[in-house]
Amino acid sequence: MGSAEQISQLAVDGLMVGALYAVIALGYTLVYGVLQLINFAHSEVFMLGAFGGLFACRALVPGDGATPAGLAAAGLVLVGLVAGAAAGGAAAYTLERCAYRPLRRRGAPRLAYLISAIGASLFAFNLAGKEFGRQSVPVPDLFANRTVVTVLGAEISTQSLVIAATALLMLLAVDHLVADTRLGLSIRAVAQDAECAGLMGVDVQRVIVVTFVLGGLLAGAGGFLYAMTFNASYTMGFVPGIKAFTAAVLGGIGNVRGAVLGGLLLGLVESFGGYLFDASYKNVIAFTVLVGVLLVRPSGLLGTRLGRPA
Amino acid sequence: MTATPRPLRTRPARTVALRPMAALVAGFALVGAALTACGGDSDDGGKKEYLIGFQGPLSGDSQQLGINAYNGVLTAVEQLNGDKSLPFTLRIVASDDQGLPEQGPTAAQKLIDNPKLMAVVGPVFSGPTKSSEPLYSQAGLLSVSPSATNPALTDLGFTSFYRVIAPDTVQGAAAAEFLAKVVKAKRVYSLDDRSEYGTGLSGAIERGLEQADVPFTHDGINPTKDYTSQATKIMADGADAVYYSGYYPEYALLTKALRGKGYDGAILSGDGSNDDQFIRQAGTANAEGALITCPCSDANTDPSAAAFVAEYKKVNSGLKPGTYSGEAYDATNAIASVLRKLGTDANRESVRTAFGSVDMPGVTKRIKFERNGDVQGSTVYVYQVKDGQRTVLGPVSSLIKP
Repeated sequence: MGSAEQISQLAVDGLMVGALYAVIALGYTLVYGVLQLINFAHSEVFMLGAFGGLFACRALVPGDGATPAGLAAAGLVLVGLVAGAAAGGAAAYTLERCAYRPLRRRGAPRLAYLISAIGASLFAFNLAGKEFGRQSVPVPDLFANRTVVTVLGAEISTQSLVIAATALLMLLAVDHLVADTRLGLSIRAVAQDAECAGLMGVDVQRVIVVTFVLGGLLAGAGGFLYAMTFNASYTMGFVPGIKAFTAAVLGGIGNVRGAVLGGLLLGLVESFGGYLFDASYKNVIAFTVLVGVLLVRPSGLLGTRLGRPA
Repeated sequence: MTATPRPLRTRPARTVALRPMAALVAGFALVGAALTACGGDSDDGGKKEYLIGFQGPLSGDSQQLGINAYNGVLTAVEQLNGDKSLPFTLRIVASDDQGLPEQGPTAAQKLIDNPKLMAVVGPVFSGPTKSSEPLYSQAGLLSVSPSATNPALTDLGFTSFYRVIAPDTVQGAAAAEFLAKVVKAKRVYSLDDRSEYGTGLSGAIERGLEQADVPFTHDGINPTKDYTSQATKIMADGADAVYYSGYYPEYALLTKALRGKGYDGAILSGDGSNDDQFIRQAGTANAEGALITCPCSDANTDPSAAAFVAEYKKVNSGLKPGTYSGEAYDATNAIASVLRKLGTDANRESVRTAFGSVDMPGVTKRIKFERNGDVQGSTVYVYQVKDGQRTVLGPVSSLIKP
């Protein structure tokens, strides 16, 4: 292992990617909480959010090649995030409306949801590939990316800072929403026992929609943040989607704070694992850790017994 | 007793079996009609039609390089078809291998199965070339790659494989010389994408660096999106130059990650990254100053290739030739020169046998082959991104100041 500088640099890299995993993982965990259903099309919501933010920025960035600075830069990032979140939210709503609700109405078996999700996912990313092209597309430079601060020898760039700050804000907001608001109370009620919640006057259908849209908003904004670093492409959702799902399971699926913990942990494990061994072993190491954790704690790090599905 | 259900079961089965048969017969009839229509009395003066295959990535992440090559073939074919003195016309049959080794054999088989096909331009990438060539050799179908540069490809005993681009041994040696004498690197980080092409190139570079006494670190990483920890690793290594042996989508992300971390050493890659998509995907600010070596000159700035560039733009609705376009154009013309010699009774065997003695001027170089199928002599050029544009610095030999 290298010096203290490298250790902190790897930690910063890992936390940054981990924060993105956490943001996406929330979408899986929230939906799983209320429906006990893995929304496998969530990765496409993430991808569509990235394109939403990208197109908004591309429309607004001045074409003279100059990199925006100051307030203009901050404004553009905000526009990208909002557009990404809006696209993600809209995609998640459509997904729920078209791929899940009809099945739920008919009381379809669990397996049907899974197939429907995979179908929706294939549909969405192939459509995106056709419409947006098969090449990777970069988000235009929204700010000059330079080292802003040095923490224990780790250089933190503007971009990492933007990603970390946004992700942190979103995670805190969701945590507050689920733990302290009336809406959060109804989400938790539906998660515990949908039937009882319904009898107590909770609009279960509305809660389900809101949960999907909430996950979509997060994934969309997360997609935009991801695309700022790694470019957007029609297949971009797959790997981060799997990783975020892993993070959600690692932390204990259905648990909001668990998803955050799982995401950050996975990011760190990947970062250090890729450095210590070989970058190609990154996924091997990450999944070995997952299996190891699940052997000891089958319900994930912060997982608890789950309620009955809606 | 069991007699009653049996006819019930067999009858539908028989109809099901018969229907595809009928369709097949009808299909053959149609194809037969189409063949006579093309071969005999077609509308362009009863000329014979030969098919030329194309195999390369026309979809997938690295499609741009395949499209560049395809457009080069198209340019040559359009031009040849306009030539009234030719006793035949040409038509392209494209087969997409996505640049993936595992897709190669399927794509190759599709071309082999077409009896009117005389020769293939491609495969474009080294991986699919390695997996496809055994089939071409077996079928005795000539394949001329515009771009597969893995050195070992001409040593594997393929009997119908030629390439109009220099192998990576040539590029690697020149790149190593450039790193040692022009970049004056004290330590080089040689990273490849673990592909057939990448490992061949990185191996050649490392042999060159050894000879030039430049220390280096070898590393490989499968194509991915996240090069953050790889960048940290490179910076910790202390190398003042990075050479990435791989294709442009990954080179773009690697460059982005390195520059994002404030890496200020030289960043280089090879012909697989020599496309404007690199600049676009890395972002102009990050790509600035990045270097690319290529055993290919830029047709757009080469005055002797002006006629080709003009023709290419005409055929491809204004697009400029890209990397491998010129090579694909040359490969097609070389095949056509053999067909011209053979006239209207060419067959796969005669085309393949005659191809070895091709000797003609091309737009990228003189097209003349060694016995093993490698093109004779080749110059390696260095490109650099300046003000967001890929510009040719010149051949490596002329950049080295004594």
